[in-house]
Amino acid sequence: MNRIKKASVLAAALLLLCGLAVYFQSSRQPMRYTATFFDMFDTRTEIVGYASNEEEFTRQAELLADKLLYYHRLYDIYNDYEGISNLKTINEKAGIEPVKVEREIIELLKFGKEMYEVTDGQMNIAMGSVLRIWHDYREAGRNDPSTALIPPMESLEQAAGHTDIRQVIIDEENETVYLADAEMSLDVGSIGKGYAVQQVAEYAREIGMDSVLFSVGGNVCAVGSKPEKDLWRVGIQNPDTESNETYLRKVEIADACVVTSGNYQRYYTVNGVRYSHIIDPDTLMPAEYAASVSVVTRDSGVADALSTAVYNMPYEQGRAWVASMDGVEAMWIFGDGSIRYSDGFEDYMVQ
Amino acid sequence: MALRITWYNEGMMERKTKKNDILLIVGLLVMALLFSMGLALYRQINTRQPVAVVRIGEAEYGRFPLDVEITETIELSNGAYNILKIENGKADITEASCPDGICVRHWAISKQNETIVCLPNQVVVEIENGEESDVDSMTN
Repeated sequence: MNRIKKASVLAAALLLLCGLAVYFQSSRQPMRYTATFFDMFDTRTEIVGYASNEEEFTRQAELLADKLLYYHRLYDIYNDYEGISNLKTINEKAGIEPVKVEREIIELLKFGKEMYEVTDGQMNIAMGSVLRIWHDYREAGRNDPSTALIPPMESLEQAAGHTDIRQVIIDEENETVYLADAEMSLDVGSIGKGYAVQQVAEYAREIGMDSVLFSVGGNVCAVGSKPEKDLWRVGIQNPDTESNETYLRKVEIADACVVTSGNYQRYYTVNGVRYSHIIDPDTLMPAEYAASVSVVTRDSGVADALSTAVYNMPYEQGRAWVASMDGVEAMWIFGDGSIRYSDGFEDYMVQ
Repeated sequence: MALRITWYNEGMMERKTKKNDILLIVGLLVMALLFSMGLALYRQINTRQPVAVVRIGEAEYGRFPLDVEITETIELSNGAYNILKIENGKADITEASCPDGICVRHWAISKQNETIVCLPNQVVVEIENGEESDVDSMTN
């Protein structure tokens, strides 16, 4: 009897172990989940994370998406939202009166002013008057390519007279923003997304997430690393969108962000020539120094601002400037396919 | 005398028990093995061919296996359209009525979870059962 009992217990234990092994392998490790949203920043947002189960991940992802949507509405210059004073409201009241706004708008505009100083004006959130002209011509050019035109330089120069960032009056005590120049408007296309992602990434850390990757329209930001200290792998897209090689380089990051500014996504064509959407403040025309510039740094808002600024600079100037900053690395892809790196960029690269 | 009989009986039982023991252990082990194998097999069978799933808004428009070459014009009620092309094991949008054309410029997709989105038309093309990509994300 003893023997039978022993044998049964042993065999049952083995069976249990087998079952447990299968169960452990599939369920106990943190599982990878992806949530996708389309309502924010006129682009696709993907949140990739690791959690013990789908309910936990979905709950967290929705908290993050809600936050992103909140920022999207505040930083929108094209749409009104009931009960919310946003950047569109501020633009509409230019030269009329200050607008009382949420703290998050004040903080963004302060950040924009700071980046203006840091980039010596290469990144200017008050360039809306110029950018709006390009936006209109670009839309018209895409709707009817046969009549596509580039904006007359006189209009652009006239608009450029209304891009003085010092006319953006921020009253922190009363929480208002006033554009003192009636023909000025704010356009935060170059930093809004990155800044919002940074705030949401910090929020993710606050709610205890330590393994999340955000991509808001290609603005990529990593909170923590993947499980087992694995790094997140991010592809730098090939500016040649027809190529079979979808990315040219891969970087590995943890607690860092990668943002690319490029000429191959938003553009229109006039007489066979491409005019893309990032406008050089100096020339008032689309910058043509590189096909794309990618910046890696810890803060997403900084990465967004710097990628735009460096994209608007000639290579040598941009390179020296990046070298002068701590914790910032960059990669340039030029129209002829050549690639250059800042001194420390290759440390991030997967060879 | 009683003692001796007990011994004898116990000895007999021990021999039978030993044989039964072994049968039991083996039987249970075989069951465990079959169970694990069955599970692994089930998993394998469930992995299907890669497919491009097209959605318009929340509704699924169609599923297009990546190994069948096809050109499909996705027409929307307001006259807007996107042209989906399945070729060389990849899904691509080759033409669209939307003003920004971002969907057309997107690279042809084939890896698990990759998507092409046309926001103005609310059209999303996503790969299911695709090969894993070797990057977690891409910058734009």
